[in-house]
Amino acid sequence: MPENDKQSLSMVTCTAPVNIAVIKYWGKRDEDLILPINSSLSVTLHQDQLKTTTTVACSRNFQQDRIWLNGKEEDISNPRLQSCLQEIRRFSRKRRNTGDSTSDVSGVSHKVHICSVNNFPTAAGLASSASGYACLVYTLSQLFGVESEQLSAVARQGSGSACRSLYGGFVQWKLGEQLDGKDSLAEQVESESYWPELRVLTLVVSAEQKSVGSTSGMHASVETSQLLKYRADVVVPSRMEEMIRVIRERDFPAFGELTMKDSNQFHAICLDTYPPIFYLNNTSHRIISLVHRYNQYYGETRVAYTFDAGPNAVIYTLQDHLSEFVQVVRHFFPPEVTQAHHVMIITLNSELKRDINMEPTPKGIRYIISTKAGPGPCVVKDPNHHLLGADGLPKKSVISD
Amino acid sequence: MNMPENDKQSLSMVTCTAPVNIAVIKYWGKRDEDLILPINSSLSVTLHQDQLKTTTTVACSRNFQQDRIWLNGKEEDISNPRLQSCLQEIRRFSRKRRNTGDSTSDVSGVSHKVHICSVNNFPTAAGLASSASGYACLVYTLSQLFGVESEQLSAVARQGSGSACRSLYGGFVQWKLGEQLDGKDSLAEQVESESYWPELRVLTLVVSAEQKSVGSTSGMHASVETSQLLKYRADVVVPSRMEEMIRVIRERDFPAFGELTMKDSNQFHAICLDTYPPIFYLNNTSHRIISLVHRYNQYYGETRVAYTFDAGPNAVIYTLQDHLSEFVQVVRHFFPPEVSGEEFVKGLPVCSADLSEELKRDINMEPTPKGIRYIISTKVIRGQCHTEAV
Repeated sequence: MPENDKQSLSMVTCTAPVNIAVIKYWGKRDEDLILPINSSLSVTLHQDQLKTTTTVACSRNFQQDRIWLNGKEEDISNPRLQSCLQEIRRFSRKRRNTGDSTSDVSGVSHKVHICSVNNFPTAAGLASSASGYACLVYTLSQLFGVESEQLSAVARQGSGSACRSLYGGFVQWKLGEQLDGKDSLAEQVESESYWPELRVLTLVVSAEQKSVGSTSGMHASVETSQLLKYRADVVVPSRMEEMIRVIRERDFPAFGELTMKDSNQFHAICLDTYPPIFYLNNTSHRIISLVHRYNQYYGETRVAYTFDAGPNAVIYTLQDHLSEFVQVVRHFFPPEVTQAHHVMIITLNSELKRDINMEPTPKGIRYIISTKAGPGPCVVKDPNHHLLGADGLPKKSVISD
Repeated sequence: MNMPENDKQSLSMVTCTAPVNIAVIKYWGKRDEDLILPINSSLSVTLHQDQLKTTTTVACSRNFQQDRIWLNGKEEDISNPRLQSCLQEIRRFSRKRRNTGDSTSDVSGVSHKVHICSVNNFPTAAGLASSASGYACLVYTLSQLFGVESEQLSAVARQGSGSACRSLYGGFVQWKLGEQLDGKDSLAEQVESESYWPELRVLTLVVSAEQKSVGSTSGMHASVETSQLLKYRADVVVPSRMEEMIRVIRERDFPAFGELTMKDSNQFHAICLDTYPPIFYLNNTSHRIISLVHRYNQYYGETRVAYTFDAGPNAVIYTLQDHLSEFVQVVRHFFPPEVSGEEFVKGLPVCSADLSEELKRDINMEPTPKGIRYIISTKVIRGQCHTEAV
């Protein structure tokens, strides 16, 4: 139940996860409703390592909607934000009008204050719009009492991949057929407990240049890449089926190979765009090389990479191979400063090092985040964790200097 | 046609030169590995031999014990299947000709062994494709020696190295993919001669090589085996691009020619990335050159300069004579050369030009010192292979 302070202020805090696609979304068939040209599938990462926390407060005393992101007040008139707010309010009013009184929905006509933080740095280049919009939409739905089945569509209109962050484990975003997008929704394929041995490493690469943003990048691809339509119409549908199958069979080599192929095809489409888009840098190429040589050494796919619209690598592997592969990364990408790590240190055998046969790239990787599959969004019950104070403004600890 | 030199009627010798060609619609992938038949047609521009060429001398004598070959001063293995293929095919055509009684040249030498010596006037280390000019030259020289008709040479050169057939002609050349299984219709032919578009200029930007790339033959094989996008490219995209490319060349429409060239280069590299494992031919400097071209064109609001990259980091730039000096200056500015005795711009002379501050500011890139080792400035060749006077 939202917290009521003199029945004038309701407040809810929730957290939502990041997701990493293994079959990529790249390209819209409708820019306003954010409907994709192909389905996509992702793995939701554990919130212990990566999450967005959002507090929404609602009060008749608020003059206007306001939003603070990572301590800084941002422009609430951003069309994507407006889209989410309007949609949630619309669903909420519809609910109120049908007489459902299980939660306090009178607040829907009041203004909201939104405060959101990530537990990972924005500069790391980790996609935060998915977790951010998922969290916003989920929190608003908790506040206004909107059914969860409708949230996919709302989150999607904030940021396409945000709908996948509404579920835990393995999630697909079905492209849908209807023009109004009502069937373009995310759904869980399997829960996070289905494949407990799966591990995920994010290799945060030293960023050189600012990349082309996803929204304009994918728009350019749709407009100019002659290969993209074929990917969307022919390649992805069969890959979606295959991906779901290999996940259900817990077939890591097949899962890994398909993941790498789809990452590469996404970047191929970027190269086939005019002008061409390059998200992978030298270090990204070396990581790709390293993975292929490592797998070749063992004669099987033990480790798989995937890259989004930036140079950071996300590595999928199984628990058994995690320690060794982290050690391999440390060896070939020696870090600047030795940091505390929570992964067991093992010695690499020299045959492996020799066989991989690559020059080390010092400081090519800034740091590694080690995580696994995790659950969907949840409500934070402890009122001490609200990011907004009773006055509806961000707490001192949240504001950046 | 030159008569082979006869020394006591025991040794015949012919020397020829052949040009390099740079594809604007790329060949990448075979439908037949033995006959070297491609999955799509391709189109190239033949470069002027004054700057880039292969020179080959072939001598034939009853006194030679075995076939031998020297490439750039070093004796190589004559049993290389591609070389064998060319030698066998040329000999086969030549015997067929002798048997039909055509006596315009001395073809008795076809049963003798040959000594082959071949050099390029550009360094192999530069990573400039030399197999096209090399095999074209070999095949052409052998044909001169053994009296084989030029129409048959396409197929022979092709079996040495696919793109070699395009080096048998000057100007703008297409290699038609063909339909027959025996490859008899998979031939090169001239689209337009070089004199058709005299303002066209070509710059080769030789990039500092870091790592050895995956070779073309194994690279394209991996792409055919693993890229799901390649078949679509070959069956749908390239046929329509070939038509368009021929049209824009005939119309001398540089902006359209340039844009299509860049798109096909990028799509080729996209296919390499869609290969498993992925192949990366473009390096950081290649990416920067691409960026530079797009920004330069954007500044002027039109496509004045176009890039194309083959299976390596070197850039080939197409432009028109009017823009040549300024663009070379732009390259010098953003890729300042190492100060040394070696010339930065080789080949055809390029006038110096001043760059406006506005242009430099608008391009807005950090200079990459020594990213480009040197530039070869050339143009489209007049004519094709020719036989040197002795």
